[in-house]
Amino acid sequence: MFEAALNERQTRIDRLQVAALCGLMLLGAAFVYSATMVTESASAAPWYNQIWVRQIIWYALGLSAAAGLCFLDYHTLARWSVVIYWGAVLLLVLVLFLGTKRFGARRWFDLGFFSLQPSEFAKLAFILAQAHFLSRPIEELRLAFTFWRALGLMLLPFILILKEPDLGSALVLLPTGLVMLYVAGTPKRYLLRLAGGVGIVGALFLVNVLFAPPGWWQIKLEDYQRQRLMVYFGVDFARGNDSVEKKAQAKHLQFEKSYQVRQALISVGSGGLTGKGWHQGNQTALGFLPPGAAHNDFIFSVIAEEKGFVGSMVVLTLYGVVLFTGIRIAGQARDRLGKLMAVGVVTLLFSHVFINIGMNIRIVPVTGIPLPLLSYGGSSVLGSLIAMGILQNVYMYRKVY
Amino acid sequence: MLIFDQLKKNDPPLRMVALVIFCGLGLLIAGLWWVQIVSARDYQANVITQSFRTVRIPAVRGKILDRTGTNDLAENRPTYNISLYLEELRKPFEVEYLAETARERNQLKEQADAAEKKLKRKLTKEEKKQFILSSKEKANLRQKARYEVASNVVVNVSQRLQQPISLDATNFERHYLTRLALPYPVATNLNALQIARFEEQSTTRMGVDLEVQSTRIYPYQTLASHVLGCLRRDDSSAEGEEAFFSYRLPDYRGVVGVEAGNDQDLRGKAGAKSVVVNNIGYRQAENIWTPAEAGQNVVLTIDLRIQQKTEHALARYGAATRGAAVVMDVQTGDILAMASSPTLNPNHFIEGFPSGEWKRITDLRAQWNRATQENYAPGSIFKIVTGLACLEAGLDPNETINSPGYFQFRTGGKPVKDLAAPGQYNFKKALVHSSNTYFIEKGLKAGIINIIQLGQKFHLGERTGLQTRQETSGIFPSLKRVSSNWRDGDTANICIGQGEMAVTPLQVAVMISAIANNGQVLKPRLVDRIEPLDPALGVVPVVFPKGVVRNELGVRPRNLEILREAMLADVEAGGTGAKAAVPGLAICGKTGTAQVMDSHGKTIADTTWFASFAPFEKPHYAVVVMIEIEVNAGTGGNICAPIAGSIYKALLESERGTQTERAQAN
Repeated sequence: MFEAALNERQTRIDRLQVAALCGLMLLGAAFVYSATMVTESASAAPWYNQIWVRQIIWYALGLSAAAGLCFLDYHTLARWSVVIYWGAVLLLVLVLFLGTKRFGARRWFDLGFFSLQPSEFAKLAFILAQAHFLSRPIEELRLAFTFWRALGLMLLPFILILKEPDLGSALVLLPTGLVMLYVAGTPKRYLLRLAGGVGIVGALFLVNVLFAPPGWWQIKLEDYQRQRLMVYFGVDFARGNDSVEKKAQAKHLQFEKSYQVRQALISVGSGGLTGKGWHQGNQTALGFLPPGAAHNDFIFSVIAEEKGFVGSMVVLTLYGVVLFTGIRIAGQARDRLGKLMAVGVVTLLFSHVFINIGMNIRIVPVTGIPLPLLSYGGSSVLGSLIAMGILQNVYMYRKVY
Repeated sequence: MLIFDQLKKNDPPLRMVALVIFCGLGLLIAGLWWVQIVSARDYQANVITQSFRTVRIPAVRGKILDRTGTNDLAENRPTYNISLYLEELRKPFEVEYLAETARERNQLKEQADAAEKKLKRKLTKEEKKQFILSSKEKANLRQKARYEVASNVVVNVSQRLQQPISLDATNFERHYLTRLALPYPVATNLNALQIARFEEQSTTRMGVDLEVQSTRIYPYQTLASHVLGCLRRDDSSAEGEEAFFSYRLPDYRGVVGVEAGNDQDLRGKAGAKSVVVNNIGYRQAENIWTPAEAGQNVVLTIDLRIQQKTEHALARYGAATRGAAVVMDVQTGDILAMASSPTLNPNHFIEGFPSGEWKRITDLRAQWNRATQENYAPGSIFKIVTGLACLEAGLDPNETINSPGYFQFRTGGKPVKDLAAPGQYNFKKALVHSSNTYFIEKGLKAGIINIIQLGQKFHLGERTGLQTRQETSGIFPSLKRVSSNWRDGDTANICIGQGEMAVTPLQVAVMISAIANNGQVLKPRLVDRIEPLDPALGVVPVVFPKGVVRNELGVRPRNLEILREAMLADVEAGGTGAKAAVPGLAICGKTGTAQVMDSHGKTIADTTWFASFAPFEKPHYAVVVMIEIEVNAGTGGNICAPIAGSIYKALLESERGTQTERAQAN
């Protein structure tokens, strides 16, 4: 019944992208299996309780959601974007009070069978709202007021997510928002000023976090966040005027805190060219990669260890295909709304991939951020597939040459 | 590029985004290439250091056998230990720890509630801190939980074995911290009954299992203990072996005796296994890299039966007798028996010493092999050398001298006592009655140079070259020493085997053998061959040559005959060695009794000797017996000669036994 709405000469979906997505999902299921089925107790669990099965269920749910989205014109989606945006903001506020506390952060609603992570969906809501907002006539974008409002649209969820705290998820909003502003045609001067401002604030922030002596005013950060940043930048935990004992303590703490980074790096590095073979990696089996993180934020190091450089390249190629087909979709979009949506999704995806893989090889600091479609997690998988649905939607309603 | 071509030409921002993404992916690829290709080796090494532990597995030690190749003087037996496998207890540890912390937290909560009631207000955050478990307390609880679980298992084992076993908390904790990847031994050296009990009742063997270990055993206990030597716990790597191990299993190394001298052959080649451990250090898997290569068997020239009889004969005056006996084949240099008394039990070095045993050993100096390791004045048995030197210098054996019963230097001074009665002495009579006067007078005439030169041909003052690491060289003056500041008194002392000289019973045996075999100074042979532990391997054994001649005396055969005849007469009725006589065997011997002086020249003890060979007609065995006694408690003739007699009897029996065996076999 919907076929009539489509131009018959157009391909309905971007097949190349879908193929790459399927490849990623296959890899995801295989390596979530490999990362979790390492203990006898894990293998002994009933099949429906096994994590890799659940991941496949999430894929199925996500694919249905994405397919469902394709039946809606993205313009309809855009009209509802304001509602979706404020709904997401409401959830972000609620999670601060009602969320379950895990590892010192309130990021999840515990729904029994599933923990909902609202920030994953807030990112998409933000992309929709921002795209909708920026799709106004180009003249209006030249107004400072519009620029500030767009910034506000970005900063509201940013601050709320930061408050949870979830630095990683908050940070990916920044490049997404900025790229959308840039592609929308916001005047260069605004963008340069913004970039400069962000740069200066960021630099001040880092200097304060890393070097402020005790007693001075310090930006309020969780201890683990400060330590992660210090680990990344290689700043000694010990202060110059500490006692020897305290220095030793600090050194020990530093060693402990850099444990995860070191183990991830060892996993990736020891994979070599071709890896140790699927399900043969011992970093997870022996517990050096924390069992809670291996199938999650550190799934890439499992793949890299077991499939080596070749496996890493396959993963990057698949992401590359998704990203560039995404940009192609942005280029072919019927209007600025569609282009901005596509660009937002692509930038978000790229930020996730870059930060996650980057932290596995110590290019970026460790921030708890999932690798889209590969990491285990209901919210992340659903969010990523819905984002892909949006891309496909833009593609389906593209203009025809 | 396909994708870029489709981008709108007039959409530079989109191209910019594509470029940035392209660069970002490029950066990731470069990073991955660096980590996975360039530095892969470093990271792989990291994996090995953090998840592999290497363990040195000692090889099974070779046996030491007697000359027949069938009697094990030292072998190995399996010992069974019960060990805790800690990795299997990991879950119970955790469960117990959680229970402990829950209990502790409840208590703390009660305390906090009580404090709140007392203050009638809520506690502040700062105040609450004292009611929260610190990480140190948690660590302590963990340790406690581990010990609880492990000791429960041990109690269970103890019930099964029906024998009390306790788990030492400090030992256990130390093992947990430093040797987690290895099993923890709970009960060692189980007997057959205990093994049976353990196996029988093992339906659930949570975390415990039997372990087999090879342990050195000397089945004949004290027999030939000095020759065999002893072992010391030593786990270090031998030369040419992998030097870096995380852990080493118990291994032993020879300290003295054959165990030390042939340690290289006996110890084999240690193997290595790798243990894969998890992030906490629990064992996950094991993999043997190089299996241990068993050591080789060392077959001695010692004859078990003769050794037994020799030791038995040596113990004639009790177990505390301080002395030694050597039985040597005069033609081949084979040491058929070498005994030293008092003895010790080499098993004790492995099992531990019973109380008082070590004190007994040190008090009696029992650990010294008196046959090779101590210096003794030869006394009259050196008259064999003196006499031969005199004969070589032209002494007429039939010429007689008149002995007043002592020797007085023309220059005056203290006369030298003579046990031989006054009277007329020719060579034979002088040797038979061991006349000091005769040998001093004739020795002075022959000159010290001749005596020293002959003594050096016997290699006196030099080690015989046994590999047992328990040999002293003895003392013998050099030609340089006698060339100046040397008086006739010194020569007189040398002539009767006193003064500046000392020998070992083994050196005397070599000397006697040379007299018996017409002048060949042999290298004594203790190890016959080295053969593989498993003869089925078909490895050709290494056989050491027999009768290696170290030196030829180069004396006139006639003089040796004269000497031998005189020695034969010594063991006949009326001679000093008559008590050694065995019917049906012509024994040639010489007795000796030397004084042991302290630094003031006072006699503090005597060393008695009997040096001999037999049979006279076709010399085969040399038997040397030496006993340390109190001053004037006896002479070589009545102390040592009877022992030698017993040994000769045993040798005769052994020969007859072998003959009958052969006859039966035919």
